[in-house]
Amino acid sequence: MKHTLDTVTQVCPFPLVEAKQAMAGLALGDELVIDFDCTQATDALPRWAAENGYPVTHFDRVGDAAWTITVQKA
Amino acid sequence: MVLTGLLVGIALGFVMQRGRFCVTGAFRDVWVARNTRWLTAFLIVIAVQSVGLFALQSAGVITLEAKQLPLVATLVGGFIFGFAIVLAGGCATGTYYRAGEGLVGSWLALVGYVVFSAVMKKGALSPVNEEVRSHKVGVTTIYDTLHVSPWLLVAALVGGVGWLAARHLAVPAPRLATLPPRRTGLAHLLFEKPWHAFGTAVVIGLIAIVAWPLSAATGRNDGLGITTPSANLVHYLVTGSSKSLDWGVFLVLGILVGSYLAARGSGEFRVRVPDARTATRSVVGGVLMGVGASLAGGCTIGNAMVQTAQFSWQGWLAFGSMLLGTGAAAHVFILRHRREGAAAVPETASLARV
Repeated sequence: MKHTLDTVTQVCPFPLVEAKQAMAGLALGDELVIDFDCTQATDALPRWAAENGYPVTHFDRVGDAAWTITVQKA
Repeated sequence: MVLTGLLVGIALGFVMQRGRFCVTGAFRDVWVARNTRWLTAFLIVIAVQSVGLFALQSAGVITLEAKQLPLVATLVGGFIFGFAIVLAGGCATGTYYRAGEGLVGSWLALVGYVVFSAVMKKGALSPVNEEVRSHKVGVTTIYDTLHVSPWLLVAALVGGVGWLAARHLAVPAPRLATLPPRRTGLAHLLFEKPWHAFGTAVVIGLIAIVAWPLSAATGRNDGLGITTPSANLVHYLVTGSSKSLDWGVFLVLGILVGSYLAARGSGEFRVRVPDARTATRSVVGGVLMGVGASLAGGCTIGNAMVQTAQFSWQGWLAFGSMLLGTGAAAHVFILRHRREGAAAVPETASLARV
């Protein structure tokens, strides 16, 4: 199942902090869509996914200084 | 030529924005994530710079000044500053460059920081600041205390940091998901490709080395610095006295310009308004940054990055104290972070919401 976490307006490190909290409540195989607009998270979120072995199924810009990333719990 | 300050500032703002170089993040990760990747990058800046500064001094190009240590002011100010940068969401330089990205929270923090730097250094609180800073201990630099050549410390620092960096590089880098590229060649490298933390650190170290002789040539015998220039900027704005308009003022203005150019060029500029909690923290953090940095004699750049490269006691003690302050604030504000609405909404529910 897909879940969405809206962290827009939250400055770093909070998108990552909230993504970790949200991920803890997900079942294996579930996907977390994280919408964010903190520039540093373009590095921090994919790094967190990679270090935890979570596949990133989608990562793109949605506008100027606005991004979305989908991370699957594995 | 004070305008070289503007150019160095533009380069610094550009590199910090593109490299996502954040000293607050570096200090914070030590406590929150038990990760020293960015702290190692920060130490690389110090090491590169120390080689350059002592080489320039040996060549007779610059003369490093050693000042006596205001012990209490350094420790207390450093702790306050380290605490405040977590609230503000960035250190002094970080706040300047995020302001250039369009973050309104950083605009608030920046105003609090520059105004209170001026209040502490030139205004109502300057007697307090001077009193606390007047209590000095009779030491200046670590090499002077140890009666060794500064080059011995440079060698030890380079060796230690090199070992740390090598340890990080020995771990196979995880393959990170990247944004779909939209450009090629130089434009891709400058405005799109994620930069390696250590590469960015080397470039910042080189900028910091170049900064010194350029600044000294205009009569300001110092390297990169943010707090005094910020106080000078406010002083100039409210008095019109062009005496305060020195190389450092152009440097900090350049950071704004450089990060704006970098953000604009990479589609990362947008005026972003924070929520009430972030806005409040930004203001309080900014004010405390001005107070803390003035007491300590510098921010994470002036003290923890430039004074450390000269091996002054003030630099290294402020560095340690800032790190502790950041740790304290990280425990209060990050590890206990909760936000109403920060919950994963299942897709069906989120569709119903729309």
